[in-house]
Amino acid sequence: MAVVETRDIKKHFQDVRAVDGVTLSIQQGEFLVILGPSGSGKTTLMRLIAGLETPTDGEILIGGQDVTDLPPRLRDIGMVFQSYALYPHMTVFDNIAFPLRASGSRSTEEVRQAVEWATGILDIQHLLERKPRQLSGGERQRVALSRALAKEPDVLLLDEPLSNLDAKLRASARDELQRFQRRLGITTIFVTHDQVEAMGLGDRIVVMSGGKVRQVGSPQQVYHDSADTFVATFLGSPGMNFIKRDQLLVGFRPEQFVPMATVQSENDLTVLPFRVGRVEYLGADKLIYGEVLDQGHETAIISRMSSEQTFWLEPGEVYDFAVQKQQLRFFDSETGERVAPVKT
Amino acid sequence: MAVVDTPAEKRSGFFTGLADREEILAPAFLAPAVAYIILLVGVPVTLAIAFSVTDVTVGDTSLDFVGLANFRAVFQTPQFRRALVNSVVFTIAAQVIVIILANVLAVILAEDFRGKWLARFLIILPWATPISLGTIGWLWMLDSTLSPLDWVMVQLGLLGPGSLFGPSDHMNFLGKEFLAMASVTLVHIWRVLPLATVILVAGLTSIPNDLIDQAKVDGGSFMRILFRIKLPLILPIMAIALLFGIVFTFTDMTVVYVLTRGGPVYYTQVLPVWSFYTGINGGALAQGAAIALFLFPVLLAVAILMLQMARRMEVN
Repeated sequence: MAVVETRDIKKHFQDVRAVDGVTLSIQQGEFLVILGPSGSGKTTLMRLIAGLETPTDGEILIGGQDVTDLPPRLRDIGMVFQSYALYPHMTVFDNIAFPLRASGSRSTEEVRQAVEWATGILDIQHLLERKPRQLSGGERQRVALSRALAKEPDVLLLDEPLSNLDAKLRASARDELQRFQRRLGITTIFVTHDQVEAMGLGDRIVVMSGGKVRQVGSPQQVYHDSADTFVATFLGSPGMNFIKRDQLLVGFRPEQFVPMATVQSENDLTVLPFRVGRVEYLGADKLIYGEVLDQGHETAIISRMSSEQTFWLEPGEVYDFAVQKQQLRFFDSETGERVAPVKT
Repeated sequence: MAVVDTPAEKRSGFFTGLADREEILAPAFLAPAVAYIILLVGVPVTLAIAFSVTDVTVGDTSLDFVGLANFRAVFQTPQFRRALVNSVVFTIAAQVIVIILANVLAVILAEDFRGKWLARFLIILPWATPISLGTIGWLWMLDSTLSPLDWVMVQLGLLGPGSLFGPSDHMNFLGKEFLAMASVTLVHIWRVLPLATVILVAGLTSIPNDLIDQAKVDGGSFMRILFRIKLPLILPIMAIALLFGIVFTFTDMTVVYVLTRGGPVYYTQVLPVWSFYTGINGGALAQGAAIALFLFPVLLAVAILMLQMARRMEVN
């Protein structure tokens, strides 16, 4: 059953079409990631689902009920903002109890039990008496999550909750977030501009740009079967390489573009002459910047290979690089849309 | 070997040299402020304290020490005691109402609506008016025979023979004890409300939007968000507005002087006006100073509280 549905939802701010006709359906227990660059409308979409913005057009359903005209407090949602938005004048206990008390239907004892449960999940019982300013970034994030979970909402909305953590903490927080989401089975919508987070967390990823959904699919689908050139270049670091052939753009991922000499299997390869420019060493991997000389054109291309790869590349020299034919993707050079494979 | 100019030698003009020396520059910049405080605050306060323990009058300017005799003398007059009570009552009554009204106005003005700029302009207007002119306006509004308020009440059937407020066609706002006190309080409220409102609007708009959005998602109704989130968060700013209001009302002389001159009889007398009457009009400088010094403890307490507030806000 779909827990959250948006039907052709639109939000225009004067001339800006922040969200421009988005139809989505999020399943029970699913971890859905909305991924897009800043200005793509992903946060506005989440605020529409939360009820913090009124849609210009379209419908929103939560748990089968049309909530389009309901204020946030009448929608059964929990939300964590990027800033965590902890109430600075309240203790951790009062912060987490706020949504419980606001509903007005729980006794003092029930509130206490719910706070205990919500803090138990995230292991922060020892922080209950503290004020937010006495907490570290990681602790604040847990308190904000506890508060969002305390009333056991139908949907959990997370707006870039990891981006205020430092890089090391972010990896462990990501891992923890996913494990506890699986354990509780709570339907979760997670907004981020970070593709690593999106790939690592999402059951499905919604890639947005310019207020529109470009593609919805599993991390594998959006990465390996990108629907258009935007998705193909936005995902991956660096994004997909393209070579123009007639009306087509032929695309392949940097890690699929390797020196001919290192290729084991020789079946169905496309071989391209590659003039090596700069080599960038990134620790585990290295990036090789250069140009492919194809049908009289020079196209800037990046290859990515393991640093373990000892094959020596001399800057300025031309080497034969190869891509497996099955890994080539084809896009219309006008619209950027994916098209069926053609013979190359 | 070539001679190399150091930068200091290059620009060693007389004034530039002085400006580079902090031990000269710092006192030079502080001097005007120090002079201002000594001449306009230090000297008058010292003089007032000195006068209050002597027998100085306009006629006899020699300072002969008399101890606390002046304080005892002024305290024994009913005018003084009424003025002391009135100063406190007017201040408290006005500030309680100002804080409530300012909160209501600030919550309205912090929202977006059509004509907001006009509402803001009208609310700030009393603060931009010279206090004496504004009070003269109120004097006409509350006049014993020509009051437009009387006329409006008569037209509404609230005043006149057989109506709620009695048979006379005039309320005589400033001629009856309770109405006169209420009128003075009202004008103080009218005067201080704009400042309090502006301070509270600034406080409300400084609350991060995320906090309010979070409270909405957390199920907070308008009232719950107002009383549990917004008001507690602007409490320190509210305290500042309150302290400013106390100072302005407690030390104000214009409103009572223009509106009632302390009357009817001495029922609306306040300390600053009574001090002026006794010390300047009556010529009893020493007693006038003693009356004025009764303002001192309250103002000192307010000043200390304000400084503490300011420091706490810096820490946060």
